[in-house]
Amino acid sequence: MKTKMIVSAVLTVSLLIGGVLIFTGQDETVAAASAVPADGQQVVEVSAQGGYFPRRIVAQANVPTILRMRTQGTYDCSSTLNIPAIGYSAELPPTGTTEIEIPAQQAGSEIQGICSMGMYSFQIAYQ
Amino acid sequence: MHCNACVVLIQDTLKEQEGVTSVKVDLSQAVVDVVGNFTGDAEQIAKFLTRAIQEHGYTLTTQPVKQPVRWNEFVYAAPISLLLVIGFLFLQRLGVVNLISSSQMQLTTALVIGLIASVSTCLAVVGGLVLSVSTNYAKAGNAWKPQLLFHVGRLVGFFVLGGMIGVIGKTVQFSTVAHVVLNVLIGVVMFILGINLLDVFRRTKGWQLTLPGGANRIMRASQRSTHVLVPGVLGILTFFLPCGFTQSMQLYALSTGSFLQGGLHMLVFALGTLPVLALLSFTSFNFAQKAYAGVFYKSAGLLVMILALFNIWNTLAVLGVLKPIVL
Repeated sequence: MKTKMIVSAVLTVSLLIGGVLIFTGQDETVAAASAVPADGQQVVEVSAQGGYFPRRIVAQANVPTILRMRTQGTYDCSSTLNIPAIGYSAELPPTGTTEIEIPAQQAGSEIQGICSMGMYSFQIAYQ
Repeated sequence: MHCNACVVLIQDTLKEQEGVTSVKVDLSQAVVDVVGNFTGDAEQIAKFLTRAIQEHGYTLTTQPVKQPVRWNEFVYAAPISLLLVIGFLFLQRLGVVNLISSSQMQLTTALVIGLIASVSTCLAVVGGLVLSVSTNYAKAGNAWKPQLLFHVGRLVGFFVLGGMIGVIGKTVQFSTVAHVVLNVLIGVVMFILGINLLDVFRRTKGWQLTLPGGANRIMRASQRSTHVLVPGVLGILTFFLPCGFTQSMQLYALSTGSFLQGGLHMLVFALGTLPVLALLSFTSFNFAQKAYAGVFYKSAGLLVMILALFNIWNTLAVLGVLKPIVL
C-alpha cells in the first residue's frame, strides 16, 4: 500500500507538472500586421478554423486596424468570435471573410480575440 | 441515499407500513425518524421496516452506520483522471476539427461534424455533464433506462428544436452576459456533481440539482419511478448547452428556413455525437456494478471537477477577466 501510494503521488505530480508545461508552452506563431498604407489603416489577417492563426500579431500603435477574419468550412468554436476590449461578439459565416474595425490603440496594449467557449484565442500586440 | 427522489421513495414506502404515523428522512445525515405504534424493541422494528424498503436497496439500523471514506481509492483515481484530461487536451492540440474540409453543408457533413464535436472541446461541456449525470444515476442503482431516455430525449429534442429554429428563422442567441452566466452555472453544477461522485463529503448531497420533493412525488405517482422523466428532459436541454459546434449547426438550421431540413440536420448532428456520449453513459453504468466501482467514481468525479473548472476558467477568459488557457 505504501509503495502504491508513493507511485501514485509521483505519477500524479509529474502528470500535473508535465501537463502544465505542455499546455502553457509558448509555441505561438508571431506575425506582423501589413505595412501601413497611405490611408492610415493597417490590416491584420487571421484565419479561423480549429483555432486562430496566427495566434499573436504585432501591429503598429496609434493606427486604426482592420481585422480580417477568414473562415473556410469553420463549424467549431472559432466561428463564434468575441473581442471583449471593443465589445465585439458575432458569429462568423462558415466560409467567407469578415472585416472588423479596431480603433487606434496605445503602444503596449493588447487586443484579444477569443471564441465563445474560451479555448481558442489570439492577441494583437501594439508597439 | 443519493438524492431527494430516494427520500420521497423511502418516506412513502415506510408510511404505508402498519403502525407508522409519521416518517422524517434527513438526506445529509442519512437518518430516518419513524414514529408509530409498534411491538417489540427498536432492533425488531428496524428489521420489520427494512423488509419494506429492502427491494429498493435500503436497510434500517438503530445505530448510525458510518460509511468510511475510502481514501485509498484516490491512489488510482488521481493519476487516471489526470491522464484522461491530458489525453483529451492532446486530442485538441492535434486539431481534430481541421478534418472538416467541406464548405458545403450536407447531411453527411452534419454527421461528421457531430462525430468530431463529440471528441472536441465540446466534450468538456456536454460530455462532462453527461458523465456526471449518468454516473450519478448509475450510482443510485438505476438500470439502463434513464441513460437510454437521456439519449432519446437528446435526439428528439435536437430534431424538434432544430426544426423550430428552421421555421422561426431565429436562433437561440444568447448575449455574451447570458452565455457567461449559463456557462458558469453549468460549471458549478458539474463541480458539485463531481464532488458527490467522490463520496467524501456527505453535506454536498443536499445541493444536488434535483426536482423539489413535491414534483418528485407527483411524478412518482404517475410513473412509479422518479428517475424516468428527468433524464429525458435533461437530454432535450443539451440543445442549449454552450458548444461551438452546436451553435454553428443551429445557425445553419436557421438558414434552411424549413422545419424538415433544420430538424434533420440537427438530428443527424446529434446522431454523430451519439457514439461517444453513449459510450460515456453506458460504461459508467457497467462500471457501477463492478468491484472497482469506487475507483471509477472517484476518477469520474475528479475528471468532472477538472472539466468544470476548465469551463469556468475559459468562460471568465471570454469576459477578459482571466488569461485564456491556450490549446
